Amino acid sequence: MDPKWNEDLPIYRQLRDRVVAMILEGVLGDGDALPSVRNVAAEYRLNPLTVLKGYQELVDENLVEKKRGRGMFVTDGARKQLLKDERQRFLDKEWPEVVATIKRLGLDVASLLEQVKESDDAGGAE
Amino acid sequence: MTSLVTASNVSKRYGDIRAVDNVSFEIEKGKIMGLFGPNGAGKTTLLKAVLGLTDCEGQLSVLGLDPFKQRKALMKNICFIADVAVLPRWIKVSQLLEFMEWTHPNFSRQRAEDLLSRTKVRKDAKVRELSKGMVTQLHLSIITAIDAKLLVLDEPTLGLDIIFRKEFYGNLLSDYFDGERTILITTHQVEEIENLMTDIMFINDGRILLDSSMETLPATYIELTTSGADADTARRLGPIYERDVFGKKVMSFEGVDRERLEGLGEAHTPSVADLFVAKVKGAAA
Repeated sequence: MDPKWNEDLPIYRQLRDRVVAMILEGVLGDGDALPSVRNVAAEYRLNPLTVLKGYQELVDENLVEKKRGRGMFVTDGARKQLLKDERQRFLDKEWPEVVATIKRLGLDVASLLEQVKESDDAGGAE
Repeated sequence: MTSLVTASNVSKRYGDIRAVDNVSFEIEKGKIMGLFGPNGAGKTTLLKAVLGLTDCEGQLSVLGLDPFKQRKALMKNICFIADVAVLPRWIKVSQLLEFMEWTHPNFSRQRAEDLLSRTKVRKDAKVRELSKGMVTQLHLSIITAIDAKLLVLDEPTLGLDIIFRKEFYGNLLSDYFDGERTILITTHQVEEIENLMTDIMFINDGRILLDSSMETLPATYIELTTSGADADTARRLGPIYERDVFGKKVMSFEGVDRERLEGLGEAHTPSVADLFVAKVKGAAA
């Protein structure tokens, strides 16, 4: 029930990351309301200012918008934007490492892709 | 005036013992201040002075009033939950609500009933028929139905099981705290309120060991896990406290630059509980 906070990252930052994960996973869709500051504070026994600071980060990144008197909402296109950023990050940082590993181990790219395709067909692709 | 409580050079003596020894601090409006100290450190005496339940030397102002001399006026805007259950055992819940309505000008019976309806506390029950957890729920419902500027909690969750304790702080945040009101809490259960408070104060032997906002703690206090030659180098930077953990040295530093420590081992921000031990034991050494 209780989240485990990482001691070396400010909690507001971890809250921000959690909301980002929820948007990426599709738990929060475009236009969905974020849980109220008061509810999050009470649920996790956090100072409301900490929660607000986490939400403010998301507002600054244009992922969330404040609607006066009604709370915070996921911005239209937030998931798309995040996916774009995440894909770019994967291609820039992780993909070159994967390619290097494939080469180092002498794996055959075509047969790897074939395997991915087979497991997708068997498990029902998204 | 944003400072709700101002203490300057406050002392309280019981015979030869200085329970509170020349203490100065401020609590600003809208803050949640956690007050920690070992048993007999002077926490309760200090709270009593703030509540006007005891006189003291020095200057103490609460909501702009002298708490001891103007206690009656102060009580309109202040509420308190003590570590000992103070509700009379023979009283019925409904009678208690009536009594509060008669005696306290800022008490909202409607609000208390709304809050109680979310608990298992029945209005026709007597206090003595309620479990300890339920008495605390009742107490909190009554207290949060008072429109007060300052709430003082002295070990509010003592003796409660973990579910009630979590609920207590959850309810406090959802029903009482609104950023305008101010809360002063003492507890031994540091980790319970670690992420909830805005300000922190350590007291020992009647003196303040630490008085800081939570936000500035990471810049001031660093815990370093190190060993071997690095440990010797680090020791020269003057840690306030050192302990052994699994063959490594864990040193607590105050006001030493993070950059100077980072090459010497693993540097991170201490938990409030570890910082408390470091300050209390470090001061004694």
